[in-house]
Amino acid sequence: MKALTLVGITLSSGVIAGIILAFLNLGIVEPTIDKAIALEVQKQVSAGENVNMSELIDYRYWQKAGAFAGGAIYGAGLAALFGVIFVFARNKLPGKNNKQKAMFLAGIMWFVLFLMVALKYPANPPAVGDPDTIYYRETLYIGYIMISGLAALGMSVIWIKTRINSKKIIIPLMYAAIMVTAYVIMPPNPDKIEISMDLIQTFRVLTAITIGVFWGILGIMFGSLWDKFLSKEQTLAAKLY
Amino acid sequence: MDKLSYNLYTPKPTHTEMSITTKQSTVKAFDSLPVAIGFLIAVLVFTMFLVGYDQGQLFSVVEGQSAYDTMWIHELTHDMRHAAGFPCH
Ligand SMILES: [Zn+2]
Repeated sequence: MKALTLVGITLSSGVIAGIILAFLNLGIVEPTIDKAIALEVQKQVSAGENVNMSELIDYRYWQKAGAFAGGAIYGAGLAALFGVIFVFARNKLPGKNNKQKAMFLAGIMWFVLFLMVALKYPANPPAVGDPDTIYYRETLYIGYIMISGLAALGMSVIWIKTRINSKKIIIPLMYAAIMVTAYVIMPPNPDKIEISMDLIQTFRVLTAITIGVFWGILGIMFGSLWDKFLSKEQTLAAKLY
Repeated sequence: MDKLSYNLYTPKPTHTEMSITTKQSTVKAFDSLPVAIGFLIAVLVFTMFLVGYDQGQLFSVVEGQSAYDTMWIHELTHDMRHAAGFPCH
């Protein structure tokens, strides 16, 4: 039942890390989202629109609860990717035990899939963003994640296959070169920012931290569960090579 | 040989095994590493669509055009979508 165990530990560690992320966000990120929404509402009111405040407040409670569902879904999804990569990469990852290996991979994935992408297309709170450009922005964002992710994947394969000593310098430089090129070539986020930059910067820093904590928790959970349930399964990854 | 490599590399079970464990073999069919990996990749794509992309597409399958106005999934996962860095507003 080892493959089913793999799916089980992957999804459960993802869902738990995602729910913890939602709890963290409730205290850390939500105040900034609320401020941004207040600015939006102010703008709507001064434009003469009717805003039903008590309805809005109820709606925000519903959305804050929804963030827990969102966290569970988000966690399960990223954990799924994490689990697949871990199975293939485990033998090559540094670390004395699976917890350390998983933590290492989680750190890399946060860097490659979140931080590098955020440098080009940083997170924005509500009140930033034109609904008409949503599909264009989604395409850019997903495209950039794919570039960063595939570049890192390619570099990892080269890392494993090459025996030269200087790879510790050359391979990160190659990744950096790809990312600098992508940064220059990819078009910018088309939306204008009309609210205070302070609020936006606060939001960006806080989300980078909570998403980083999420990856850390995912790594610890996954590594511990692997040690507990799959530690004897040394061949799980080896069979694939 | 461990159980996993049995699943991956052993050809079909013999007739006796088959008759005793029809139910078990169904479980085994799903308990192979390639199936697990395929399943996890499907989970990745579907969940990222829900949290990061959906503007009503999923529910429009049953609700039709009105789902694009309600955007229930977008609204439900809204705060996490922002907090995870996805484009949203
Ligand atoms: Zn939004």
